[in-house]
Amino acid sequence: MDLQTLILDLQRYWADCGCIIQQPYDVEIGAGTMHPESFLRVLGPEPYRVAYVQPSRRPADARYGENPFRLGRHLQLQVILKPSPDDVQELYLKSLGVLGIDPAVHDIRFEEDNWESPTLGAWGVGWQVLLDGMEITQFTYFQQAGGIELSPVSAELTYGLERIAMFLQRKDSIYDIEWGGGVSYGAVRLEDERESSIYGFEVADVNMLRRHFEDWESEAKRCLEHEPPLVIPAVEAALKTSHLFNLLDARGAISVTERVGLIARVRRNAVAAARASLEQREALGFPLAGAPDSPSGEAA
Amino acid sequence: MATFLLEILSEEIPAAALSGARRQLEELFAAQLTEEGFADLEITPLSTSRRLSVVVENLPDRQADRTEELTGPPLRVAVDADGKPTPAGEGFARKVGLPFDEVGRLSTEKGEYLTATVVHKGRATSEILAEVVPAVVAALHFPKMMRWGDGTHIFVRPVHGVVALLDSEVIPCALFGVEAGRSTVGHRVHSSERFELESADGYAEAMIERGVVVDPADRRQRLEELAEALASEAGARVHPDPELMAEHVELVEWPGLIAGTFDERFLELPPEVVVTTLRFHQKCLILENGDNGLQNGFIGVIDRKDDPEGLIRQGNEWVISARLADAGFFFAEDRKQTFADFVPGMERLEFHRVLGSLADKAVRVGKLAAAFANALDTDVTPDQMHTAAGLAKADLLTHMVGEFPELQGIVGGHYLRLEGADEGLWTAVRDHYAPIGFEGVVPESVTGKLLGVADRLDTVAGLFAVGERPSGSKDPFGLRRAAQGAVKIVADAGWEVDLNEMIQAAVDAVADHSKDGEEAVADAVTAFVVDRVRRWLTDIVGVSGDTADAVMAADWSNLPAAVARAEALERVRTSENFRILALAFKRVRNITDGQPDRGVDSELFEMAEERELYAATEEFAKQLQDLLPKKQVEEAFLAMEPIAEILERFFIEVLVMCEDERVRDNRIALLKQLGQQFMDLADLSKLQVEGGE
Repeated sequence: MDLQTLILDLQRYWADCGCIIQQPYDVEIGAGTMHPESFLRVLGPEPYRVAYVQPSRRPADARYGENPFRLGRHLQLQVILKPSPDDVQELYLKSLGVLGIDPAVHDIRFEEDNWESPTLGAWGVGWQVLLDGMEITQFTYFQQAGGIELSPVSAELTYGLERIAMFLQRKDSIYDIEWGGGVSYGAVRLEDERESSIYGFEVADVNMLRRHFEDWESEAKRCLEHEPPLVIPAVEAALKTSHLFNLLDARGAISVTERVGLIARVRRNAVAAARASLEQREALGFPLAGAPDSPSGEAA
Repeated sequence: MATFLLEILSEEIPAAALSGARRQLEELFAAQLTEEGFADLEITPLSTSRRLSVVVENLPDRQADRTEELTGPPLRVAVDADGKPTPAGEGFARKVGLPFDEVGRLSTEKGEYLTATVVHKGRATSEILAEVVPAVVAALHFPKMMRWGDGTHIFVRPVHGVVALLDSEVIPCALFGVEAGRSTVGHRVHSSERFELESADGYAEAMIERGVVVDPADRRQRLEELAEALASEAGARVHPDPELMAEHVELVEWPGLIAGTFDERFLELPPEVVVTTLRFHQKCLILENGDNGLQNGFIGVIDRKDDPEGLIRQGNEWVISARLADAGFFFAEDRKQTFADFVPGMERLEFHRVLGSLADKAVRVGKLAAAFANALDTDVTPDQMHTAAGLAKADLLTHMVGEFPELQGIVGGHYLRLEGADEGLWTAVRDHYAPIGFEGVVPESVTGKLLGVADRLDTVAGLFAVGERPSGSKDPFGLRRAAQGAVKIVADAGWEVDLNEMIQAAVDAVADHSKDGEEAVADAVTAFVVDRVRRWLTDIVGVSGDTADAVMAADWSNLPAAVARAEALERVRTSENFRILALAFKRVRNITDGQPDRGVDSELFEMAEERELYAATEEFAKQLQDLLPKKQVEEAFLAMEPIAEILERFFIEVLVMCEDERVRDNRIALLKQLGQQFMDLADLSKLQVEGGE
């Protein structure tokens, strides 16, 4: 199964499970969780189901396109089910069927793997899902986000798409994965990985990054101090500081002691934006709270 | 007799939490049911990766009836002058459910009282279980709890089913909003349909039929037998790994195994890298050949009976080969240069903003280690020490450690060995991070030990100097473990060095960065290390806290000597003489503390007890001079014993605080001298003994 079929089939499946299919966020982020469709939607009482692909930028993981398993930007398929349905494990296992993975002939395991994001003030418990020894999904019950206790609790499923494609296609290099229509992943992305690695590790202007960190940090504050608070602009500004932090980190410009302080600065804005978002939804009367429950366990 | 079964079916429970959960289930049921008057119960906790169960055998159908003797008000209160019951007397009769005439009388020393025997009917066991089960489950605690769905319930993972059966009868109760019943599911792959358990009896057998082995001991046995069989098929041996085995036992419902292979070329990687990949990343059992070398195969544990199409083996082989290729990629990249080529990079790696780079640290550590080598009179040269310190952290720059941070040191050691470095050097680099705290083995070579101690003392002194001290539960730089590691190395190596001097040297080296003055830093680091030494004595040597205090008050800085004295004192202190000595020394301390040192003048003695004590002190001093050089520490302590009686007599007969100032001062001096003699071994006044305040 090529990469795009994998994406299309998973999206179709989750749409059938009552998810709206969102689009990737157009701000550089390190994980699908940081997309406001996850980070903000899990707050408060409103039920929500959403799925989307998110290109996730991790400059420090980049390898100049030389390592067959590592990417500076990879694709996640992210699913949020709020509240977490009783049959969430079954729903997930059925989604593997869509990928042609028949549990009857594989070893599928849920091994404890808890998740924490200091920059988002978020944590959850859950598992990494292993398919024949290969980690294919991160499965998390969100307990807290933006420093706020969550109730109802959301289930988050994050599929590592390149890994799954490699495994399904039994390819020894990410760049050999078939993307679609006979075009390889390498043909689409290799140059981009090379250039982004050079930029992230060698070229990025540290002083500029630091300056912009300060700029976007104060911009986030300004948005939050605005009357009424501008939630999405504040989140976007906070996400930019998070990405700038990641770039500085890849560049080797952050010491152990400085790291803690910078993370705390990103978190402060992210947490404040989360609170503002919750207040905003409350002021709106939680418009989605009365919506009929999303269908559960009725996937095709 | 009846059998009770409770099964809580949930989503996959963290493996590490299960053994604790089983223990709690057993203890809580035992406590609650004992409280209800049940005895001789057979309680068996069971679990798999997604169920927690308990079987209680030997339960009667009902609690036994229980009689209780109740005492009421005194007769004089219960009846009036006419012998008629008062409201108080009638009240008691009502309470015990008897006509007043039938209420008994009880004669006591304090007069007559009303009394009655009340029979409490035993309740049905099912009724009791309906209360006990929710109470037990509510009391279960897990290291990390969670909420799910609407967020109402808290448990280790979401709960999907509850079976509660007393023989074949359902115990009516609900857990986490799930009504108890008799329906459960078997193994996800082998028998996923819901089915009903007829009876609590034969639970384990019924589950095995459904592809679930509920008894962890059974799973373990099956795993071990299977692993041995598979290994011998592969012409290899399973590397014994009880810890991993125990984890796998908790990770499955049905223990199955697959055997796979990987390309032999990966055996060129550092063996630790292969082991880390297989064992720690993929949780595989390691296969060894005849001479303990690695075999290019592995055994993986799966949660099912079989691998019907061979896809599971293929998949695992693919993942392992991908991971090893990944490691191979880093190995090849690293080996494009010599290990020394990584050294300049240490200048770019910051150890601490104020304390500078890892290169700066390496220079300090080298000097410190060279000084220690000299003080210890080892044959390690300063040059060797500087080289080792200079290379020790260079592997942090390698790709391999970037990917396998837990292999720091090991990778550097391996690369140096491949380059033909001297064995003392590469083992030193390999071992210098060990031990972690008090855990693990100390470095093999002297160079490694010296490096380990110097590295840790530099870290502690440096971070204390810049004010990054641990407080409460916060110890972000792991300074407690660092200091503990240094203490363990010194103790295990038996180095009779002055730890005080070592600390001072480490503090001197970072004096330029000291925020609040070198002396204050030295004091703080010393107090910090003293605390670790005390823990070494109490937690590892195993002596009581006051023994450690007594010995350390004499001297802590020569660690092996302090250990020997602590062990000896712990053995001898149980005698009556030491109890007397400890009490007497509290008095000695009270009298002599703050008194100047004066010589004892035997001419001023007025009483036989003074002369006797003086002679005993002199004799003791002589014995110490003889015994201590021979390290006969216990004998030295035993030499104190005769003084107990003499000192006791002295305090009875001699008035220290007499009128004549010269005589008084002389008596104080005598006691002071004795105290000082004892202080070569320990401050006995620190011992807590019976009869003390």
